[in-house]
This record gives sequence, structure tokens and C-alpha cells, in this order.
Amino acid sequence: MKNSVFFNFLFLLLSKHKSKHIAIFIISILIVFLTSSILFLKNSLQKEVNSTLENQSDFVIQKINSGKTQNIPTSWIDDFSSINGVTSVQQRVYGLYYFMPENIYFTIIGVDFFEETTNKNIKELLNILNISDFLSTNSMIIGNGVKKIFDKYHYFDFYDFKLSNKNLETIKIFKDLPKEANLVANDLIIMDINLAKQILNINEDEATDIILNVPNNLERQNVKEQILIKHSNIRVLQKDELKKMYENMFNYKGGIFLILFIVVLFTFILILYQRYSMISSTDKREIGILKAVGWSIKDIIKLKIMENFIVGFMAFIIGVILAYIFIFILNAPILKNIFIGFSNIQNDFTISSNIEISSLITLFLFFMIPFLSAVLIPVWKVAIIDSTKSMK
Amino acid sequence: MIQIKNLNKIFYENTKKEFYALKDINLEIETSTCVILKGISGSGKSTLLSLIATMEKPTSGEIIIDDESVAKLPDLHSSNFRAKKLGFIFQSYNLFNELSAKENVSIPLIPVGFSQKEINEKVLKALEIANISHKKDELVSNLSGGEKQRCAIARAIVNNPDIILCDEPTANLDFDNSIKFIENLKELKKLNKTIIVATHDPIFDNLDFIDNVINIKNGIICE
Amino acid sequence: MSSILLSNEVIIFLFVQIILFILLTIAFYFSLSIIKNWDFNKTTNKQYKLEKTSYLVILIISFTLIVKIVLFPYFAYSLDNLSNIVPGAMCAAGIVGANKFGQINLALKILILFFIGVWLIINTLDLKAKTYPYTQKKYILYIFIFILSIIELFLDFSFLDNISTKEPVMCCSVIFGVNNTGSKIPFDLSITNLLIVFYLLYVLTTILSIQKSSFLNLIINFMFLYIGYYVVTYFFSTYIYQLPTHQCPFCMLQKEYYFIGYFIWGTLFLGTFFGVSSFILKTFINKDLAYTYKYSLIFNTLFILLCSFYVIKYYLINGVFL
Repeated sequence: MKNSVFFNFLFLLLSKHKSKHIAIFIISILIVFLTSSILFLKNSLQKEVNSTLENQSDFVIQKINSGKTQNIPTSWIDDFSSINGVTSVQQRVYGLYYFMPENIYFTIIGVDFFEETTNKNIKELLNILNISDFLSTNSMIIGNGVKKIFDKYHYFDFYDFKLSNKNLETIKIFKDLPKEANLVANDLIIMDINLAKQILNINEDEATDIILNVPNNLERQNVKEQILIKHSNIRVLQKDELKKMYENMFNYKGGIFLILFIVVLFTFILILYQRYSMISSTDKREIGILKAVGWSIKDIIKLKIMENFIVGFMAFIIGVILAYIFIFILNAPILKNIFIGFSNIQNDFTISSNIEISSLITLFLFFMIPFLSAVLIPVWKVAIIDSTKSMK
Repeated sequence: MIQIKNLNKIFYENTKKEFYALKDINLEIETSTCVILKGISGSGKSTLLSLIATMEKPTSGEIIIDDESVAKLPDLHSSNFRAKKLGFIFQSYNLFNELSAKENVSIPLIPVGFSQKEINEKVLKALEIANISHKKDELVSNLSGGEKQRCAIARAIVNNPDIILCDEPTANLDFDNSIKFIENLKELKKLNKTIIVATHDPIFDNLDFIDNVINIKNGIICE
Repeated sequence: MSSILLSNEVIIFLFVQIILFILLTIAFYFSLSIIKNWDFNKTTNKQYKLEKTSYLVILIISFTLIVKIVLFPYFAYSLDNLSNIVPGAMCAAGIVGANKFGQINLALKILILFFIGVWLIINTLDLKAKTYPYTQKKYILYIFIFILSIIELFLDFSFLDNISTKEPVMCCSVIFGVNNTGSKIPFDLSITNLLIVFYLLYVLTTILSIQKSSFLNLIINFMFLYIGYYVVTYFFSTYIYQLPTHQCPFCMLQKEYYFIGYFIWGTLFLGTFFGVSSFILKTFINKDLAYTYKYSLIFNTLFILLCSFYVIKYYLINGVFL
């Protein structure tokens, strides 16, 4: 039969049979909405984390004593620089500062403003900073979450950090970070490296860890071994491994959700099967009429399958669009916190909008195939109804 | 030409409800004739019609229509046969109540492969012949009994079939509409169609355009 | 739980496979009774009921098998994504080689797709005829496909569960590259000779398709498929990646190359499928279909054009060959 004619008739019938499909339609939208939201969120977060990670150095070296990290001597920088293939060895200073009134920790990062930093994120930040002003007094740059808390306790211009020797160090709040940086910078405080060492109680000739780059990725295994030879009790963290770890973590969280959804979907399949197996007498009569005037079983199967496909597909499209609006325009309230955890400071980051065709195909397979599978047998049952019996 | 040879139909075979609807029917119906199948309810005439229309399959026997054996055709072929060569008018009209007259009449043409334009032309023509074109956009649920029957007639002739089967067509009509229906049948006979009417309505007795009356009782043809 | 099994694409792939398997099992159950009791000449109620049940089986099988065709490129895509978490893998080639199940699994999937195609053709013929002539043969073929599907499901799980995220796998440059340790070019042909054989075979398939000789077509198409695989991997792929040392059949499935791999392997598969199926159909159900030759010709030609296009494009842009 001609497709345009067939579809005209199909849509005509669908518009008359709305009430039959409405419940399934709504439940379908809900399921697709939830699944798509999780998938979009996960992919978006993954992309963000990946791009942040890209900016990190290839290797991080920490000093270990009985399983715990300790401050690493900055003299070791020369030892590592001598290894072939290694570039830009630097010290890093960062640590947690306990803020008692709120019972939370700030992360303090010390930046050496005179040395060329390899961290692109910090580089971008420094471009917009007036360094001489910043360094004229003890100053810091704070993330949004920190700012909110400082504002709450009326620390609008400065804050007094408590040092280990019970003295106070007043540090001026120079600037707060833009909201776009929130995913990674929410609870950060950035200050001059020596100042940070003071507050974090790190000796001048020590650092939290040492970072270095190995541009040639075929050399990395080699370099790692040489680093390990240089000093005992050190731990080497490789960016490649971190990437894998994050990918696994995202897969894990996404996977758990997916499995939960599969359980939901199985229930849905059963409901679908039940619902469409109930053939009302009007249905029977209609099929009987179609058969009497010359529709073959094949034609009727085609009609019924397409009917169900369109219901499912429309629900799919609407569910995906709603998920898009929820995640990327409304910024996924509640859901995003489930994904990144409630630890520490409340994070209010924005999610960048991007979806790939592959996610859409995955969602399509996930939903439409079980949906259609559930209606196969009911459709057949309807199509083989004896036309004479149904019209008595 | 319709030839029926040794036709048997048993319902619920090999169960307690076993019931012989038709026993050893032998029949010949010439092309372009109008034949009445006369018998009370349950005599088997509706079953005979369904078998001729290939909507049921016989327990044994043959049905040959225009030199083609149709009794055991696979579904794809039997439905094709119905779509191209057959028109059926039912006792209870069997129309889609939520669709308009025009839409109902177009249904037999959909699986055949006509374009929408061709379908619209044929539908209009059929509605005119059946005298119901003035109500073509009206929903069937809003039509009167006689109008519904005329809509059913239009649907039965829209595909220009060779054979038209009617199962108790006047059972739900009043006297006036029944007369109108008979007029319609007369017109169809003039178009050289083979018409078989299964009925026990006495209004069909002694009509001049009827070529043959076949009496059926308990599944057997009697004189 | 293996982190591979938690990769989202793998979960969905296995989920869909399981659903399809359930459907196939239902079809299997009914097709058994059809094979046993089918007799078109009988006019009993039982036979009529069987004809109706046959429609259910046809529906399930057609649906399932069409989904399997769609699932195959999705499977290739999931494997590609796994290369992010398996050490050493840059594309699906490394993943497939990660354990002993990988290659058989892939080959079996292709084989199943092939038999699906044959089944769908036989089914269409069966329905068109007035006496359901091929029904029993059709369902016997299905039983065979079902058995293959059981093996496939088992292989899917074994393969995916045994991909280690700790042991590095060989990347395609090691498997297929200039210093390859994998399969070598058959008959130790040089690249030029291989190309000559390849184009010769194509000309042969064209002639045979026009002449419609099914048995020779079968042999030559098999050889065309076999040689085609090596030619694409070792010669044409270098022009797609524009790197003489990058020889890999899987990398061309990736986004960077506009997914051209799916089209190249797709046309090759379709062309040889139609070429081979003409003989299979002839022996199995005694029917010679003209359109199989036609499609074989069309797809084989498309395949050759796609491959040669990259070489010609490179030459036109750069003035030399790689």
C-alpha cells in the first residue's frame, strides 16, 4: 500500500483512539525523561571533568611515610629535572583549612606568580589579574562557595586566618571567581605561594607535591620508573590513570542508575503487554471490518505496530526534550547534587549544553526496543482475530 | 462464475460443541446474476457467504471463483482477492462510527496501492451511486439507519468488485428503507455485478430481477 | 562487577540482546510445532491455526532480526568507547583482541546477519506464493539461526566479562601495522599484487553477475570478501588515515573519519551477501532471483568506488601516492 495513504489513515485512527493510549503515553514520557536526564547529566559532567583534567600535569609525585602523604622537599625538583624527557618540574602548595563556624574545609592553593605555570586554569585566571596590586598586600582570590560563607559571617573585605602558632594572619579578599568556574573552584582560595605555606604550616623548603610533564607519551612508562628509582617512599600519580579512574567512576554511577532503570523498564514492559492484550469488543469489530474489506493480516500488523511505534516514539521525543530543558536550561535541581555528592560546600555550578548523537541512539535503543517487543504479541493476537466471529 | 463443490464446514471440530454448519454443498452461480439464499437464522447461509468471501476456511471441499480456487488461499492472497473482487454488506452495517462516511468508504482502497487522489475520486463516485454523497463528511454515528446502509453499499462498491455479498441487509431497516435498498440492488445488477443476498425477509419474494432462489436449511440445500 | 559490564553502552547492548533472545526463544517454541505439524494441503482447524501461529513467528523473527542488524554497528561503537578504559587500546581493534572470544564473536555476528538476510528473502518468497512452499525449510533455517544466537549470547557475555582493564592490549599499530604480529596478507602477496587480484576479482564478479551463474558467483564473491578485507586493512585504510603506517580496519569507524568505515564494510558485506545468497537460495529452495545479482553488482561497485575514491582524492591533492 502507498505510504502516504497508509499514514493518513493511521493518524486518523490514532486521533480517534487517544484515550486508549494516554496512560501508556504519560508513563513512557516519564521513563524517557528520567533516563535521558541521568544520561545527559553524566555525559556533561564527564566532559567537564575530562577537560579540566586535560589541563593537569602528566605526573604528580608525593612523598609517602607509612601510607600517609607528607610534605615533599623542594630540593627533589632538581633530581627529577635531570631525567630525560621531563619538562617543567614545579612545586605545588595546597591544603585544607578548617573553618570552624560552619564546620567545613576550604581548599587553599598557593600560586607562584612569578613562575610560568603549566596549569591552564590558573593561567586564564592570572591573565585577568593585576599582579602587582595583588601582591602589594596579603591578598586572596576566593571561589563562590567560599564567598557565600564569608558573606554570611560578614567577612566582606578580609579574613583572619588562624596560624598554627596561634597568631592571626589578615588576608584581604581581592576578587571572587566567576560562576563558570564553580564545578572545580567552588571551595577554593587562591593566594601567593609563600603565604599559603605559612597558613598551611608548610616549611619554606617544602611543598605539598611536585608536578612534571612528559610530552612524549611513549616515554611515560620509562620516566615513571626512573622517578621511582630516584627516591624511596614516593608515590607517582599519572594523569592517564586518573582519567581512567574518572571514566570508571562515571560509568559506575551511570551504570547503577541504568540498572535501576532496567528494573523499572521490565515492569513497564509487563504493564504494556497486559494493557495491549486487553482487546475490547470495539477493537475486535474494527479489525473484523478491516479484514472483511480486504486488509491482510500483514497490513493489520503493520497498522497496529506503527500505531504503537508512534505512541512510543512521540513519548520518546517529548521525554528527551523535557530532559534537555530540565538539565540544560533549568540546571537540574536536586539531580546534580545526587551525582556529585553532598560533601563539603554546596556547589551551584552551571552545566554546559552538549548532547551527542550516540547518547540519543543509546536512549532510543534503551526505550523503543523493549517497548516494541512488549507489543509484538498483543498486536499479533489482534491481527489474527477471525473477522466473522467478531462481527456477529 | 462461482462454483462450490462438496463444501463442508464444521465448527468446534472434535469437541463437545461440534456443529455441522454446512454439509456437502454443491452450487453454481452464474456471473452477473442475482441470487437469493433463503433460510432462517442458523441455517448456514451466513457461513456460506463467509466461505465464499474467503473470510472462513472450509473443513473440506472447493470454492472456485472465475477459475481460481479460493478456498485455501493463504491470507495474503485471500485478502487481496477480497480487496479487488468482493464487496460485502452486513446486517449491522459494520462501519467505523467515529469516522465520516467518506473515510469509511475509502478503507477498502488503502491496502491496494492507490494514491490519495485516486482514492478520493473513486470514493466520490461510489457515494454518488449509493445516493449518499450529500452526507460524505458527516460522522457515521450521526447518520440514520437507511443512510448507514447506503454508506455500507458505497463501501461495498468503491473497489468496483465483481461480486457483492449481502448478509441480511434489510434486517435493521424499516419498510421504506428496505424498498430503497432493493432499488439500489437493481442499479447494481445493471452494472453487471454478481449479487448474492442471504436473507429471510419476505420483501425479497417475487422480485423480477432475481435470477435464482436457493433454499438452505440446516446446512443443506433443499428445494 | 567488571567495570566493562558497567559501561553504559555495554549495559544497554546486553539488555537489548537479552530481550531479543527471549523473543527468539518464544519463536523457537512455536516454530517447533510448525515444523512438526505443517501440512498445507490439510484443511483442518489445526492447520489453519498453525498458519496464524506462523504469522506470530514471522513477526517476531522479522522484528528481532532487523534489530540485530541495527545492533551490530552499535556493538562496534560500544567497543570503540571501551577503548577509553582499557589500557593500550586506541580503537576497537585492541578491544576485539583483548581475549580469545573477541574475534569469534565478531565473526559469528556477521555470519548470523548473513543468515538473517537469507531468511528474510525466503520468507518474502514464501508469503508471495499461493501454497506456502518453503515454510518448513524456512523454520528449519530458523532453528539453525536460533542455535547460532544461543552461542552468540554466550560469547557476548564471555567476551565482555573477560576484557581486563588492568592488562594492556595491543593497539592496532601492533596488530596490523608495518611490523605486524597479527594475520599476514594471504599467499604472501605484495601490496601491488594484492591490488591487482582485488580489482580482477571485482571484474569477475561483475561479469558473473551479469551472466547470472550462481555457483561461480558464490566462489568468487567469497574470495572477493576475503581479499577485500585485507586490501581495505592494509592498503585503502592508509589513504583514509593519510598515514602509510596506520593500517587498521576499525579506526575508520570513528567520528574523526566521518564514520566512513560503516559504509565501506557495509557495502562490502551487502555486495558479497547478495552474491553468495544467489547460490544458497538456488540450492535451498530452487529459486533463482534476478535481483540478487543486480544488488550484488550495485553494492560491490559502490564498495570499489568508495575505496578508490580515497586513493584518487589523495593523489589529486598531493600529487603522489603514499
